Amino acid sequence: MKFLHTLTKGGLLAALLLLSGFAMAQRTVTGTVTDAETGDALIGASVSVVGTTRGAATDINGAYRIEVPAGSTQIRFAYTGYAEQVITLGASNTVDVSMKSSSVLDEVVVIGYGAVKKSDATGAVSSVTEKNFNRNAVAPEQLIQGRAAGVVVTNNSGEPGAGINIRIRGTSSVYGSNNPLFVVDGVPLGGGETSGGTDVRGLGRQTVRNPLNFLNPNDIASIDILKDASATAIYGSRGANGVVIITTKSGQSGKGVLEYGYTLGIGQLANKYDLLDARTFLAEWQKLNPGANPSEVNYGGDTDWQEEITQTAMSHSHNLSFGAGGQNGDYRFSLGYLDQDGLILESGIRRLSGRFNGSKKFWDDRLKISTNVTISQTRDFGAPITENVGYEGDAWANALKGNPTWPTRTADGKVFQSGLVGEPSPLAMIELSEDRTNGLRALGNMNAELEITKNLTFKTVLGGDRSISSRKSAYSRDLVAGNAIGGKGRLNVVDVEYGSKLWENYFTYTKTFGSVDFTGLLGYSYQQFEYAGKTNAYSKFSTSELELMINNTATAGVSAIVNSYRSVDELQSYFGRVNFGIKDKYLLTATVRADGSTRFGGDNKYGYFPSAAFKWRITNEEFCPDLFSDLGLRLGYGVTGNQEIGHNLYLSRQRFSDGGIDDGGNAFTGSQGNVAFENPGLKWETTAQINVGLDWGFWNSRLSGSIDYYKKNTTDMLVRVLAAQPAPNEFVWENLDADIENTGVELSLNLAAIDKEKFDWRILGNVAFNSNKVKKFASFLNTGEINGQGLTGAYAQRIAQDQSLFAYFVRDFAGYDSEGIAQYANGLDAQVFVDKSPLPKMTLGITNQFQFGNLDVSIFFTGQYGHYIYNNTANALFTAGALGAGRNVTADVPGSGESRNNAPDVSTRFLEKGDFMRLQDLTIGYNLPLKSKNISGLRIFVSGQNLMLFTDYSGLDPEVNVNKALNGIPSAGIDYNAYPRARNISIGANVTF
Amino acid sequence: MKNSKFFYLLPLFVLGMLAFQACTDLEVEETDSVFTPVTGNTFAGNATNLLAAAYNDLNSVSDQANIYSLYEHTSDEMIPPTRGTDWGDNGIWRTLHAHTWDASHAYVLSSWNQLNSRVFRCNQVLASTSPAPTAQETAEAKFLRAYYMYQVMDLWGKVPFRNVNEGVDVNPRVLTRAEAFAFIEQDLLDALPALPVTGPGGDVTKASRAACNTLLARLYLNKAVYTAANPAGPYNFDPADMDKVIAACDAVIADGFTLEPDYFNNFLTGATNELIFTCNGNGGSPQNRVHMTLHYDNNPSGWNGFTTLADFYNKFEDGDQRKGKPAKRDSTRFSGLAFGFLVGQQYDDSNRVIINSRNGLPLEFTPDVPLTGANTAQGIRVLKYHPEELNGNVDDTEYTKYILFRLGDVITMKAEAQLRKGATGDAEATIDALRTVRGVGTLAPLTLEKMLDERGREMYWEGVRRIDQIRFGTWTSTWSNKTSTDPTRVLFPIPQQALDSNPNLRQNDGY
Repeated sequence: MKFLHTLTKGGLLAALLLLSGFAMAQRTVTGTVTDAETGDALIGASVSVVGTTRGAATDINGAYRIEVPAGSTQIRFAYTGYAEQVITLGASNTVDVSMKSSSVLDEVVVIGYGAVKKSDATGAVSSVTEKNFNRNAVAPEQLIQGRAAGVVVTNNSGEPGAGINIRIRGTSSVYGSNNPLFVVDGVPLGGGETSGGTDVRGLGRQTVRNPLNFLNPNDIASIDILKDASATAIYGSRGANGVVIITTKSGQSGKGVLEYGYTLGIGQLANKYDLLDARTFLAEWQKLNPGANPSEVNYGGDTDWQEEITQTAMSHSHNLSFGAGGQNGDYRFSLGYLDQDGLILESGIRRLSGRFNGSKKFWDDRLKISTNVTISQTRDFGAPITENVGYEGDAWANALKGNPTWPTRTADGKVFQSGLVGEPSPLAMIELSEDRTNGLRALGNMNAELEITKNLTFKTVLGGDRSISSRKSAYSRDLVAGNAIGGKGRLNVVDVEYGSKLWENYFTYTKTFGSVDFTGLLGYSYQQFEYAGKTNAYSKFSTSELELMINNTATAGVSAIVNSYRSVDELQSYFGRVNFGIKDKYLLTATVRADGSTRFGGDNKYGYFPSAAFKWRITNEEFCPDLFSDLGLRLGYGVTGNQEIGHNLYLSRQRFSDGGIDDGGNAFTGSQGNVAFENPGLKWETTAQINVGLDWGFWNSRLSGSIDYYKKNTTDMLVRVLAAQPAPNEFVWENLDADIENTGVELSLNLAAIDKEKFDWRILGNVAFNSNKVKKFASFLNTGEINGQGLTGAYAQRIAQDQSLFAYFVRDFAGYDSEGIAQYANGLDAQVFVDKSPLPKMTLGITNQFQFGNLDVSIFFTGQYGHYIYNNTANALFTAGALGAGRNVTADVPGSGESRNNAPDVSTRFLEKGDFMRLQDLTIGYNLPLKSKNISGLRIFVSGQNLMLFTDYSGLDPEVNVNKALNGIPSAGIDYNAYPRARNISIGANVTF
Repeated sequence: MKNSKFFYLLPLFVLGMLAFQACTDLEVEETDSVFTPVTGNTFAGNATNLLAAAYNDLNSVSDQANIYSLYEHTSDEMIPPTRGTDWGDNGIWRTLHAHTWDASHAYVLSSWNQLNSRVFRCNQVLASTSPAPTAQETAEAKFLRAYYMYQVMDLWGKVPFRNVNEGVDVNPRVLTRAEAFAFIEQDLLDALPALPVTGPGGDVTKASRAACNTLLARLYLNKAVYTAANPAGPYNFDPADMDKVIAACDAVIADGFTLEPDYFNNFLTGATNELIFTCNGNGGSPQNRVHMTLHYDNNPSGWNGFTTLADFYNKFEDGDQRKGKPAKRDSTRFSGLAFGFLVGQQYDDSNRVIINSRNGLPLEFTPDVPLTGANTAQGIRVLKYHPEELNGNVDDTEYTKYILFRLGDVITMKAEAQLRKGATGDAEATIDALRTVRGVGTLAPLTLEKMLDERGREMYWEGVRRIDQIRFGTWTSTWSNKTSTDPTRVLFPIPQQALDSNPNLRQNDGY
């Protein structure tokens, strides 16, 4: 309420009105903007008066008209894909400009509360624009996977809408989210989940959805990634993991454009496990069970369960947009619809999204009001695939371990079930369960930018974000699986609400003093985050009908209120930045942000995050050889923070713990308990980062690129550690006296290999090396929970001094003895560090773009190297003991020498190299030459994703990260029944009117 | 010109004031929890709610892991065989049985955390102010604190302690075993007069005078262990302490408890005669006791886990009620299951031979079982909480509560105390009276060895075997698949992470 109160104090509007009267003497400049090579008019090119915020855009004929205030002498012309030009005005009021296709250098990068030319950027920033986005993305993160050096995007699984991990320059934090801060059109998003996970007893946790699914990738114009601390410090306490700034498309072109695009996608299982067929299975089972009657495990069928529960995943994507841009305003409206099936039967995602972006200028273009609004509805249909299921297995595990002699259906057409609690039929799990998540999210902002004087502008931004999600997860009582479901049925309903409000104000002052260009920024920001939710559980249903269970919950004999919660956090910040450009050679940037947060108590409510950076544009020195079209050296240092921990963990407070329903179907209630210790000393995690970078361009920028070295040191690590007992809780949040160090080198290259009018070949490459180490940590934390039969309590990772984060800590497997019992170098129950890490040491991406007249081809490879994957799937399922007990296994299990009585303990036996190279994207597009008056462009394309995968990993895909957190400590790089990934072919067309 | 400058500055000033005015003082507000500040040695908690929570905490002992596993798998009456791919569980079970656990054992850690944090929550009940505990609530909280602290003292031999006003920066002080003994004794003696007298059929899910006396009897019976110079002995049992045991046991009996004529009725719904103190069933029931031992192909389907050892099974004579009761096999639900020890060929509810789905052979439980490499049928299963009524006629919510204290325990403790103070005749009379009800004859002449065996027969799988074996000095002997005779194993190690978190703690000898 304070927020609204302050807003309505009323002064703002009055002040704006006051300022409207200052018109000054000015001149009007007109002209046309054309392409230097073809002479074609450039529509929608941006024209602005240097040193002011005045701007205009060219119309359909490439013509513009702009008012130039007295005292201004320069006009800047910019157009995406063309080199920016600044023209100094002479006497003439007509300025015609012909623009040349640009190299990367002249692109503008968004840096938070502003934008700079890439060549002026002092920090390490990667910018990916629409042209280089990955195709067929469901979520925005997928657009940039492999496209930016040092930005590792990992799809947790192949499930549509599944969570995505994004790590910028390594993993710098144990806890909290290591994901970067996302800023969408100026509105920073909250770091929490916006949909619920559910946990059905016995069948494990079902994953939460990617909170960014609500953004339609087709609405995104560019994604800028701020990597080093000198760039991210402007976001202070949220900057330590990098900042991803998403800018959505705005209206362009004077005439107005109507666009429609349709894509049809066809996905198929990219890779299958080589499992035993029914006949081999029976024969091999018999070998392990001499004297037994094979009819005991022979149900007479011959089923390939991987085929039976998967489907050809069709996807349809429609995108319609129209918009226009002009001298004093622009707008764009878009509507998107996505209907994507998952590979597993009955799973998929549907999204309907709408967006409006618009701006309008008033008062002789001195006031610009803009708005960006999106509203989106997502419906997720989940498969019963979970992260930590035990011996019963989830739907995918049962497709792998399910007895191949099971038929799919009984004679009367019902789905077949073996009747064994621990051996559910995968098809029954799918057909006798339902998992739906409906989410509605709206994100928008309205901002006003006022030019107070020609040097000084003021911008105010009001932002809002609201999300409502409801997940219903039902298992029919007919399903024989686990003790909690059979005969009882189970329904969990999880509702999650998220909201955030933002108010930001900042002044920008730009002035040239002699040979010094100065820009100063001073601002204030307030953001409030609200998370709320509730969970109910139901059991002992009198019906087997899933729809009735969900929509008529009174059919449940037992219901339990699990719990509800609500928390509100506030973040209040003051920030400033100064940029000096001296003789266009020396660029200096300094920023500071003070963040105050309700997440921290006592003396540490406010944290201060300074940074400084310097760039020397050597190209502009006399001595620089002409060979270089660009040469710049960057040096930056900054301090950023991480505040992603739970709400108010510093004041002693109590609430009732969760109730629920136990395996027997009995409801139990929660009881009053402690939330946290009194812990006033709790404070930010702090990351200091130094960055040295070199940007270069040769031969008129035909070969350009940059190389960066960085070293990040995270201190005051926020970790949930075991409390010194006796204590209110088992765990307590502390700032550990331990460091995490990330060092690395990033290289990106951009080569115009052939640059002819009819044939153009460009190569874009990036490679990044990262090394991660934990220092000064006196204790240890176990994580990487390993699940499966006989694996309760097992774990595979430990965080400890002088190891990388999440380093593997396992038994050292030394083969089998003569009896087929596993031997371990350090003894049966001794786990040790084996000098292997799940964090990639090297990541790379290579794009080849060809253009032959109207035909274009783009080929994109991406890879990760130097890391290891723990194959929990094989550990849990593919062992002699599993085969002996009547479960299916991969073809390499018989004859491996393992005894059926061997216990497959966690060991290096299941630790595998995760190196891979993937042909991620191949797109062939053709722009039809049209002579139509009504259609200005028609592009058709065919594109394939995940076409080839080069890896030695024995699982389905080494790009995997199933959440195997233990006691809340996250894990990395563990594969456990991960939802399989598709090979996808899509065809589509975009038409522009 | 002056004026225009002024006009620039005024709105700037106004804007600046507005733009940078703080929206918030960052004072956090809570709507889903209550602040419970600590002032002095008081705590703004709700004593009634917190006491209810302390009772709920008892339910977790029905879990097959954690605290229960430390008391049972380490003893000679239970073994957790690794069966091929099953029950390896990172060695967590077999290291308990073989006495090869170390300071990183997960259940040693989780039990340490559970028990100690419960002690702290009892401190919070006692220090609560809104409302403060009544005299009876204070007594109940002291009893529960003693119950939890007793286990910390028993398992680790030292007890860390934190007052409610000692915050996150304070390292808890550490009580020696003898200090902890005195602390626990004082809590129980303080509690005793203010606790209600609850006889059979009363609300035995709440602390009562009988429950308090039972714990006092256990405390005094083991005093020699807890106050010994060397935790591994020798132990000197003071006759005065034995008199205290006898007095406490007599006080329990005087509250009206009687032996159940049918031993296994104790573990069914509706039992009252012997039950002194039970869990309240809110979040825990004896279900795990059923699943943890039964084979997959039994009905109900189990997890095919724990069994007893052949040597232990052989301590029972035929005719002993406690050895078991045959299955009815009358086609009613779960009637295929016998009571007590499940040995030999298994049948389903309709009297058909069960085939082991894991190897296609008839399912026959055999007495001998190795610790590793066992097959799925090896080992005698133990079923005290028979699921006869689970999912049957009676609603699940009425499923019997997990038993913490039972009269059979009290009577055997009394006999042992009589024996230890030299009143062998009294001891024989006490124990024979119990044995008569259980359907077996006299144990005279009674010896300590026979006494331990009798404790085993009465109390098997009820969580006291570790304590008994240590007190009787058989803990360091060997048994099937347990060759270690290391005397330092009478105590568990302080978990490594607990040592890291509190510099006042010192590791126990031998680790």
